[in-house]
Amino acid sequence: MKKKFISTLLVTAMTATMLAGCGSSSTTGTATGETATDTTGQAAATETEQTETADAAATDSIVTEPTELTLIFADGDDGYKTVMNAIVDRFNATYPDITVTIEPGNGGAYSEFLKTKDSVGEFPDIMEMRDTAVYVRAGKIAPLSEDITSLFKTTTEFDGSVYTAPMAGENTDGIFYNKDYFDKNGFTEPTTYDEFLELCQKIKDKGDMSPLVVGGQDIWHMGFWFHKAYSDQVLSQDADFIKHAYEGTKDFSDDTFKATFEELKTIMQYAQDGWASTPDAQIATFMANDMSAMMFSGTHMVAQLKAAAPDMNIGWFPIPSPDGKMRLVGGAGISGLAMSTEAAADSNKKAAAEEFIKFFFESKNYKEYCETMSAIPTTVNDPQISAEPVFVEIMQAVDDADEIGPMWNGRSGENELPTDFRNFTYKTLIEVLQGTRDIDSATTELNKTWQTSMESFNPVTGVGIE
Amino acid sequence: MNLTKQKKFDKVAFAFIAPAFVFFTMFIIVPTLASVYYSFTSWDGISPNVKFIGLANYKEIFTSARFGNALKNTVILTVFISIVENAMALSLALIVDNVRWGKNIFRSAFYIPVLISGIVSGFIWKIMYNYNFGTINSVLQSAGLDGLKQDWLGNTKLTLIMVGVVLVWKGAGYYMVIYLASLQSVSVDLIEAAQIDGASPWQRFRAITIPLISGAFTINFTLSLINGLKVFDQINVMTDGGPGFTTETLVYLLYKVGFNEGRQGFGTAVGIMLLFIIIILNTLQQKFLRSKEVQM
Repeated sequence: MKKKFISTLLVTAMTATMLAGCGSSSTTGTATGETATDTTGQAAATETEQTETADAAATDSIVTEPTELTLIFADGDDGYKTVMNAIVDRFNATYPDITVTIEPGNGGAYSEFLKTKDSVGEFPDIMEMRDTAVYVRAGKIAPLSEDITSLFKTTTEFDGSVYTAPMAGENTDGIFYNKDYFDKNGFTEPTTYDEFLELCQKIKDKGDMSPLVVGGQDIWHMGFWFHKAYSDQVLSQDADFIKHAYEGTKDFSDDTFKATFEELKTIMQYAQDGWASTPDAQIATFMANDMSAMMFSGTHMVAQLKAAAPDMNIGWFPIPSPDGKMRLVGGAGISGLAMSTEAAADSNKKAAAEEFIKFFFESKNYKEYCETMSAIPTTVNDPQISAEPVFVEIMQAVDDADEIGPMWNGRSGENELPTDFRNFTYKTLIEVLQGTRDIDSATTELNKTWQTSMESFNPVTGVGIE
Repeated sequence: MNLTKQKKFDKVAFAFIAPAFVFFTMFIIVPTLASVYYSFTSWDGISPNVKFIGLANYKEIFTSARFGNALKNTVILTVFISIVENAMALSLALIVDNVRWGKNIFRSAFYIPVLISGIVSGFIWKIMYNYNFGTINSVLQSAGLDGLKQDWLGNTKLTLIMVGVVLVWKGAGYYMVIYLASLQSVSVDLIEAAQIDGASPWQRFRAITIPLISGAFTINFTLSLINGLKVFDQINVMTDGGPGFTTETLVYLLYKVGFNEGRQGFGTAVGIMLLFIIIILNTLQQKFLRSKEVQM
């Protein structure tokens, strides 16, 4: 009996240990700091430039005492780290009274990491913000001044205030392909949706490679495809579908939503074998090894393709909607550089943080960022980036598109999604695409989940907003 | 006099346990109690406003297909690894116990996977399972067995079991050591006496060895039950709960909704349910296994 009791007690303690991470903020570990000056070797600025700018700034300090700022961004990409370090180094040299310190950002799980930093009282002064709506509602980030917001072509507002300085235009998705392969086989870029399907069928019939490579293991990659079909079928009919779902006048059994799943079922028959277990990080390899003819992804893929296949002659085209219109992801999104409320409450930190954000978007710095990250510039002043021809083509397509907008899960106001609904939708989509669930059953599950989500978040009625 | 001694003894004893007691209270008891509280809220994990919503999270748990699916996956995975892992561990222990040479080499070889972290083992097997570039399919192709190639982590009928295989590979060595220690404590006299009486090797194993190592069964099944119920690392690395919801277990659901989808309150409620499930299952298992134990 005693043994039984001890054994049960041990089990309880072990489970309690596991649970402990969920409820309290006091036990979570933190990352150690890493100053930007540690990586001066990577800085692109020359000593001359630094000296000149430092001299210019020395006479016009914007803070009344030495001020330190922390900066966190999703540093998973080496190029991103390098360019941010270079810009921060230049800023620190230009403003001797201000020290911006970069802290590691755990790019792989950035959202969770930022949440953890907040939990342990180490929320940064400036950060790359992605879950903007959540942090705005939590009062964690401060509105940006007119000086900053006026730098951009478009911004996203929350109740009349702008909280993020968009670092890049929304990641425009399209088809990347190997031009040489197309030329060799007489394939041309499709100009309609039907021509796109015909092209896929031709490549499939040829049999030497899969028409498409899809990184279905990463559900956010499936999000690219989902948004394309959702945009074709749902947004084309009702731009406020989500708002209407909150109001209860529409639900996910709507014919347009079912058509989204149907469109994706049609497209996915051209994906490579094993797409459901292929990570996004591997899709460039398929292209480089002539295993797939096309991939559907964002502008970030240009650099990855170049790295995987330096000699590849990369082509790009957008997939038109079935109704003939060109709908692309583009414009300023909801994410970007933000300033914490705590920093904004300190006049010196606020001035320094605002100055840093303005400095980041100065043409010389922003050009470097955009070129490194294959980012579409968002500023009114064109930073004159030197881009790959394919990138120029993408930017032109965004300008020429019939409609541009953020991803379906990147919208704000009454069309903002509940935080858990995006992932649930993508996972349900995968079930449909794998044939383990039919479309009617999928929409029923989505409706159930939506009803539950609405109980805690509904921007139309104000639930969860206050 | 006795009373004074007793009082002094209490102080000393308390002084010894105080540091552990304080840390255990701060880092285990308080957060656990806080978890119970948060399970009745709609807290998103960030906002300072924590709204009390009563039993709504628990109501959702009992009506949500996602929780039911996670529970089903957890049970399948736990049953699979409890049985296969113990069968494998006992087999390895018998091999190591009976080999005439290289006993230490075998023991070390079988134990090495235990030393590899869950995350690393997940990455290793993820690469091996890869449909297009993985070792397993490459070997099958080289052997002319293309028909046996599978999308090991993409086929919804296989994925959960493939994760289970990794857990067995990683955990069997640990349980082997426990079985081995128990096997080596079985009296040789009893085995020899049975041998003289004409008992076959299988009869000796079934009638003497198994009852005498039943304590090891209790320990190992308890541990594999707990490990099965709280598996996280390999799922995080290999499948992220997918494809779809195929490998989403209770712990992974807890993590995804709590830390990834901004529903800390609901995630914590899932954790509390998991606590009760573990207590109930463990109590039942203990009751069954203890009844089978033989005391020497």
